[in-house]
Amino acid sequence: ASSDNGTTSPVVEIPKPASVAVEEVPVKSPAESSSASENGAVGGEATDSSTETVIKYQNAKWVNGTWDLKQFEKDGKTDWDSVIVSEAKRRKWLEDNPETTSNDELVVFDTSIIPWWAWMKRYHLPEAELLNGRAAMIGFFMAYFVDSLTGVGLVDQMGNFFCKTLLFVAVAGVLFIRKNEDLDKLKDLFDETTLYDKQWQAAWKEPDSSTVSSKK
Amino acid sequence: AARATPKLSNRKLRVAVIGGGPAGGAAAETLAQGGIETILIERKMDNCKPCGGAIPLCMVGEFNLPLDIIDRRVTKMKMISPSNIAVDIGRTLKEHEYIGMVRREVLDAYLRERAEKSGATVINGLFLKMDHPENWDSPYTLHYTEYDGKTGATGTKKTMEVDAVIGADGANSRVAKSIDAGDYDYAIAFQERIRIPDEKMTYYEDLAEMYVGDDVSPDFYGWVFPKCDHVAVGTGTVTHKGDIKKFQLATRNRAKDKILGGKIIRVEAHPIPEHPRPRRLSKRVALVGDAAGYVTKCSGEGIYFAAKSGRMCAEAIVEGSQNGKKMIDEGDLRKYLEKWDKTYLPTYRVLDVLQKVFYRSNPAREAFVEMCNDEYVQKMTFDSYLYKRVAPGSPLEDIKLAVNTIGSLVRANALRREIEKLSV
Repeated sequence: ASSDNGTTSPVVEIPKPASVAVEEVPVKSPAESSSASENGAVGGEATDSSTETVIKYQNAKWVNGTWDLKQFEKDGKTDWDSVIVSEAKRRKWLEDNPETTSNDELVVFDTSIIPWWAWMKRYHLPEAELLNGRAAMIGFFMAYFVDSLTGVGLVDQMGNFFCKTLLFVAVAGVLFIRKNEDLDKLKDLFDETTLYDKQWQAAWKEPDSSTVSSKK
Repeated sequence: AARATPKLSNRKLRVAVIGGGPAGGAAAETLAQGGIETILIERKMDNCKPCGGAIPLCMVGEFNLPLDIIDRRVTKMKMISPSNIAVDIGRTLKEHEYIGMVRREVLDAYLRERAEKSGATVINGLFLKMDHPENWDSPYTLHYTEYDGKTGATGTKKTMEVDAVIGADGANSRVAKSIDAGDYDYAIAFQERIRIPDEKMTYYEDLAEMYVGDDVSPDFYGWVFPKCDHVAVGTGTVTHKGDIKKFQLATRNRAKDKILGGKIIRVEAHPIPEHPRPRRLSKRVALVGDAAGYVTKCSGEGIYFAAKSGRMCAEAIVEGSQNGKKMIDEGDLRKYLEKWDKTYLPTYRVLDVLQKVFYRSNPAREAFVEMCNDEYVQKMTFDSYLYKRVAPGSPLEDIKLAVNTIGSLVRANALRREIEKLSV
């Protein structure tokens, strides 16, 4: 950050304080509109108490900024599945109605209190089945082809570096490419991560005549 | 350079620094101290650049800054997730450690004054363009308008001959344009200075807030930073510049209770470079600071890197010219670029990856905030921010961190899938 000598105004146009363009913004919730009704002042001072209609997330099971786990009990055990569903619903609600933070009512719910097996049970098992099945099929056919092409048996393959690498590639492939779109996604991700480096390296890539001549 | 540049007869090397921000100020000071005839051209001496104004602790020491130019010492940093989970990330700070908040008009003026004291000539003027030299050792001719107070607002057009130029003239750099340095993507940062009631101000005494979420910015964060007697509330984005006012409103809404009754005293916006320009130097012209594009991703920090790059570039010139006795060439300036990339490229890279991983969606942001609750993460983050060195972590803690991070990401993504199911 250094000052812009040579420019009278930055690229970005600076709006005047008086027109803090609150009116143009699509007003979504009453919570927003109450602050938007004041031009130039935040929140509003005098009119506040009367017009204030802040929407807060409300749920009987949401107590003091966390899910009241007692209310999720089923046969003496916490029903983690419904905790997960409730939290998902809450987050969805918040995405549509971003909530004002408050120092008096802190959000203390931490997803890590839900045990790992609850997540596993809910999300992992169906998918793991599929992945295991795929890995086994690929492994079997690869072993078959390697055997038929090279004559190296299954047991010998296990001691062979080439075959181990092949195995590793297969497992990684099964893990990372779960759907066909994943291939494109991986490619995009790769391009994205290398872009920044390319931008930095640009200074070193140009065929510069002056450096060449000065090196002579 | 391999070729021995000749000694200058009966004069010193003349270097012009365009722009009097932290980069220009630091460059001019180092040049002048190194025995080089230094000219600093700044358009507006009392320019208050719209800027967050946070400086790391190590800058105070490295640049010998007096403590009274620091308005506030932030020791508590609050990260607030899309679902409003607030995490305090200053818990590991030691007693003497803090993030300094400065006003740019104060810092810039101080650094310029110091450059002047070291022997640099400071000119209040507007740089217009430069004529490139015909030979490798003939001078550059700078065209500028000088405002000396006598001729009124129009100023007088002047020219000057110099041997080398440091472009420290910010995001809309004219020096960069004149060497055809190419463009960079930029983010826009929008900021409102809000004076809030005293009792609300006490909360922000030594605390800064960062809000993340799709509502405040799709690819950056919204902030509330304490200033001398008010707070700065703002947000930034690269991808959705047209929606910036909507994001600003959302940021204000999230902080609403804490800034209630505040008066907006100033509204400002400025561009932030996203990556360096394709060309950062050409012959005897080098770019530093924002002009070169040295702002980190993720945190959007630029003051320290500007001052540091200015100094590093000046050091390369001082060394290459043997304290102003010799002519320099591009090879001497390349040394600055080499050293810069070697020292700071890893930092830029890490922050770029962090931004890409953790600012891309609400679930990722939730995971990010969750991760920041970890003391080890806080310690590492602050160590690398305050001292600008990557401290070697303990391998065991690193593994724990990796596992936790993956755990957080997995959980957040699981919830996202659940949300997607809900919306179908």
